[in-house]
Amino acid sequence: MVQVSVKPESFEMVLYDAAVIGEVVAEVAERLGVDEAITLNIDETSPLGRSKILSYDPIDLWVDGGALENTQRPRNFGQARSRDTIGRLLLRILDRRSGRFDDAPADDELDLSQFAAWDVHNVGRLERIGLGGQKKRRLYQFRNRHGFTDTADAAFEELWGSSELSWAEIERISVGCRP
Amino acid sequence: MRKIFPAEELARDSRFIRQSNEQRMGDPRGARIAGGNAGDALAKLTPGLPNGPDRARALMHGIFVGEIQALEGAGRTCWDFELGDEAPLALKLDMARQCWDEARHCEISVVLAEHMGTELGEYAENALLYEAACNPDPVLRLTGVNRALEGLAIDVFNTMKEFGNMAGDPVLEFCEDWMLADEVTHVKMGSDWLRRLTENDKDRLDKALEFQKVVDRLFSFNGFRGEEDDSPIQLTRRFRELAGFTDEEIDEIADMSRDARSEAIT
Repeated sequence: MVQVSVKPESFEMVLYDAAVIGEVVAEVAERLGVDEAITLNIDETSPLGRSKILSYDPIDLWVDGGALENTQRPRNFGQARSRDTIGRLLLRILDRRSGRFDDAPADDELDLSQFAAWDVHNVGRLERIGLGGQKKRRLYQFRNRHGFTDTADAAFEELWGSSELSWAEIERISVGCRP
Repeated sequence: MRKIFPAEELARDSRFIRQSNEQRMGDPRGARIAGGNAGDALAKLTPGLPNGPDRARALMHGIFVGEIQALEGAGRTCWDFELGDEAPLALKLDMARQCWDEARHCEISVVLAEHMGTELGEYAENALLYEAACNPDPVLRLTGVNRALEGLAIDVFNTMKEFGNMAGDPVLEFCEDWMLADEVTHVKMGSDWLRRLTENDKDRLDKALEFQKVVDRLFSFNGFRGEEDDSPIQLTRRFRELAGFTDEEIDEIADMSRDARSEAIT
């Protein structure tokens, strides 16, 4: 079992259980073949859905509390949303470690279009191993960054359906369909 | 069939989860509204925000459940009051026409949810709109719903229309524009009936306007709906004028928002 450290260990503003969160993170990590220790920092004061990687090695993640929330039941933990959030972060780490993303900009230098394109590729892969979905939600985000056109939709399908693209390929597809 | 149907008993299938006003307002992180949160730093809802598309999805879902409740409320107004001085036939006909509009808006909203990648019931439903439609006085009911809440809908639809325009999304832009036109009519109905039914009853008029303020205030916390550049939902003066609001009434809503904003900062 992957060792997961959840911070804080208890919550005041949301009805989350650190042990349950740790189990979900460990489950996602194992499904993705990550077998090292993970630290997850949660800002429970924020209902937004932001997330970022604080450190790639060792793995140190940060999320808004809202990124793990059940949108039907505010303040409650949502497993599906958490799998999506953690899965995208861990796949980004695996991508950068693969050598295929050596030429990718640092995370804080990625623009919204680049993030959207990479996320589509990540969530498509997560869906195929049973860890995520919401394909139409991702399509809407992608269209907002790349245009509401048939060209953008075809680019989306290519990103979603591909198994292991390189950064250069993601960037080519993303740039190629922007208005 | 009974009169004044309670909000707790509205029919919903298992996809919908209700969040009470106490739960919503009692969220220590700030109450959820307009796809964002009252505790967030203010920012106008645009596609350029990192979470802009997701906030638009959440707001659209709020619009969808609002349309269901507006349909239920207008339908109840057709039934809850006796025909005559309490509720003239022309008022009931207006409410029947509004039911037709709201039913169409529900269908449009379902299609828009699909377009934006949102599942029906994906977000919690709050029944504040319908609760305002349970007022036993038809004048207060029309003032609270048609002028306060449908007035808010004017601001929301216009913001969403602009969002669609900025994103280059013609589906969202056109749908919001068409629904916006109906909302202006609904608010105008509320304004007209308020004046007609209280023509010789100053006390009732004052009570109705006070009820409208209470409802408006519920949606003004943190200044989320206002005229500042960073107000998430922009107060729409032109359409409110068309809907029968006076300049003074619009100024009052803008002031209310500014006050709420100041309170949130201090």
